[in-house]
Amino acid sequence: MTRTVTNKRWKFAAGIAAIALVAGACGGDDDDADDGDDVAADDTAADEPATDDTAADDAPADEPSDEPATDDTVEVTQDGGVLDRVLDAGTVRCGTRDALPGFAVLTEDGEHVGFDSDFCRAIAAAVLGDAEAVEHVDLETADRFTALQSGEVDVLVRNTTWTASRDGAEGATFLQTNFYDGQGMMVNAGDFESLDEMDGVTVCVAQGTTTEGNAAAEAARLGLDWEVRAFENTDLIQEAFIAGQCDGWSSDVSQLTGLRSVYPDGPDALTILPEVFSKEPLGPAVADGDSQWAQIVNWAIMATIQAEELGVSSENVDSFSDTEDINIQRFLGIGGGEEGAVLDPGLGLPTDFAYQVVSQVGNYGEIFDRHLSPLGLERGVNALWTDGGLMYTPPYR
Amino acid sequence: MSAPVRRTPVVVWLRRNLFRSWVDGVITTVAALVSAWVLYKSVNFVLVTGRWEVIERNLQLLMIGRYPADDVSRLAITVIVLSGWVGVIAGIVHARQVRAGRIDPSATAWSRRRVVDLTERFWIPALVILLLLVLTDTAGPWIMTGVAVVVAIVGRIVGPFIGRRITGVVAGASLAIVLAAVPIVLYAMIVDAVGFDEWGGFMLNVFLAACSIILCYPLGVLLALGRRSRLPLVRLVSTLYIELVRGAPLFVLLLFANVALGFFVPEGLTPSTPTRAIVVFTLFTAAYMAEIVRGGLQSVPTGQFEAAKALGLSPPRQTFLIVLPQALRNVIPAQIGQLISLFKDTALAGVAMGLFELLRVSEAITQQPDFRGQGLIGETLAFGAMLFWTVSYTMSRESQRLERKLGVGTR
Repeated sequence: MTRTVTNKRWKFAAGIAAIALVAGACGGDDDDADDGDDVAADDTAADEPATDDTAADDAPADEPSDEPATDDTVEVTQDGGVLDRVLDAGTVRCGTRDALPGFAVLTEDGEHVGFDSDFCRAIAAAVLGDAEAVEHVDLETADRFTALQSGEVDVLVRNTTWTASRDGAEGATFLQTNFYDGQGMMVNAGDFESLDEMDGVTVCVAQGTTTEGNAAAEAARLGLDWEVRAFENTDLIQEAFIAGQCDGWSSDVSQLTGLRSVYPDGPDALTILPEVFSKEPLGPAVADGDSQWAQIVNWAIMATIQAEELGVSSENVDSFSDTEDINIQRFLGIGGGEEGAVLDPGLGLPTDFAYQVVSQVGNYGEIFDRHLSPLGLERGVNALWTDGGLMYTPPYR
Repeated sequence: MSAPVRRTPVVVWLRRNLFRSWVDGVITTVAALVSAWVLYKSVNFVLVTGRWEVIERNLQLLMIGRYPADDVSRLAITVIVLSGWVGVIAGIVHARQVRAGRIDPSATAWSRRRVVDLTERFWIPALVILLLLVLTDTAGPWIMTGVAVVVAIVGRIVGPFIGRRITGVVAGASLAIVLAAVPIVLYAMIVDAVGFDEWGGFMLNVFLAACSIILCYPLGVLLALGRRSRLPLVRLVSTLYIELVRGAPLFVLLLFANVALGFFVPEGLTPSTPTRAIVVFTLFTAAYMAEIVRGGLQSVPTGQFEAAKALGLSPPRQTFLIVLPQALRNVIPAQIGQLISLFKDTALAGVAMGLFELLRVSEAITQQPDFRGQGLIGETLAFGAMLFWTVSYTMSRESQRLERKLGVGTR
């Protein structure tokens, strides 16, 4: 009797053990995967000093001196901070999305492609020298800032409008605007000629964006009676619009242009009204509290604009290797001039970061043409300042 | 239902059953018109107006998400080995039951009846798998499915021999450990190379549901027993847990695990998002499971407890040998209902946690340059609904079969 009981107990224990094993298998953390990543990261980390001697003195030295790299400066990089995490992990975690035509969509192979995705790649090219070292993290509109604050992502490049409260209460630091947008109104061609005519109408917008509030504010300002209806995604708005449930469709002009270009009845069936009733500067954001990382991301973005201004593109960047232009020499990290010194501004980036960004991703104009021109968007205010637009960067020196 | 038709003319049957009074007549007519319209619209959508190219071209994204192409062979190996594993276990269980005299061996001998029975059980999932295979443009999935089916059948044939040969306690325990180790080794093989964050598509839904179901079941049973325990502390903790978790919406728990965990757990220790989802689904469903099991426990007559005591069984054996088997048997429909609900709830993880599961893929692919602006969300959602329905309905059918086998409601 005792023996059978013991046997049964053994069986019971074995059963519990089996369950625990399964539990371990299912619920376990992906430690193994992390280990795998770490190995890969170590490789990249090891490669970097090898390929680029300056990696060590790119460390955020307290005083940007011209002293050769010492062990001390390497130790500075060991202090916490997003840059160290990124260098350790070998990837930039970029908060983005997967269903925004022109800005970030998924291809059939699961790759992120678009204007925003290219800026994620530019940051990775600048920091790690590899534009593909990006982990695109798809975020919902509602939880994008939480993801940034809690450190789930290193940077947010997600078609996000720079506003005061996002800079303040949301704990985000917005950087160089890479796309100036504004909210507009699209209607059936011939229905209305201007916003003033739209009284007692239904205006359809996407949920959880600044669009919703802007529309209500604009109606109040103009003294018009608008019923603002919010939908979960643009496909649903389009269905409703076709079904005649909406008189107006309000969103950022970039969005409206893209949507108009693929409207089932053809683009001419719709008109985008001339009034633009909000400012929507879209740009990357990082979490508050790490100014070094913020500057790195900022300069990675600005490098694309600077490159266009200098006439450097992914096509011709290699032809500048023997350039005499001191600005281009500095920008591309080419030793030149009388001393033959490479400019290291002490940002914590490799001195050839701009070269990596331009050669692997392209300049601003190329990125724009690649993703936004097919939507039918004009450069407009997003042209270089030299062409009368708003794209202007501080000098790189 | 067909019996009256044979005996009475159709007109009479119609009048009796559908047009007994003018109210019946109106209801029948309206219902018939509405069903005909819905049926026409559905068939028209599936066969005529539906634009299914978006599904065909994105099938890989829908099924396995952004899983790296280089490592897909690991998935194939996993599917094949798991099929064999399930086959072997089914064989072993079958052999044990035959030996215990619980089932008649002739019932499962290969015969026409058996083939019909299997066809009836699995024709819907088989049809859907075939449809998916037809939509692929590579040979890989065909080969994988073919090999998996063959391996499963071989496993089912070999299983009984293993079950008959290995009988002792030690041998049995080692066999159990070996069998338990198989999924863990497979898991290590997959996760080692790819990690969790790359998982996606319907595979992720199935994986989340499978892990959560396996984990929530024992936890639910323990909580149910805890709530009926005579020890006040155990009872209090179980009750508190059940009531707290049942009182919170699943969506909120998922959001919390996604965004709030990062503030409490130091960076580097935070589990991957799918792991968090599994934990939340497990903890949430366990609370519901506990109440269902408790209902089952209450349905076991007091006489059974007393009889178990009278036999001199120890309290754990009273519970695990006498009471629990009856209790669990009594609540099979409710349990399966909860598990089906859990499976469908995995779609919430996409919205709440940003996991790239089927629903999110369905939305994302409609925005690709070739497909955007065409209102294809209907097509992609219909495809997702079909996959979910197939699995849920198969679960439901299998549970009904289990009920019949165990004689729920008849004895």
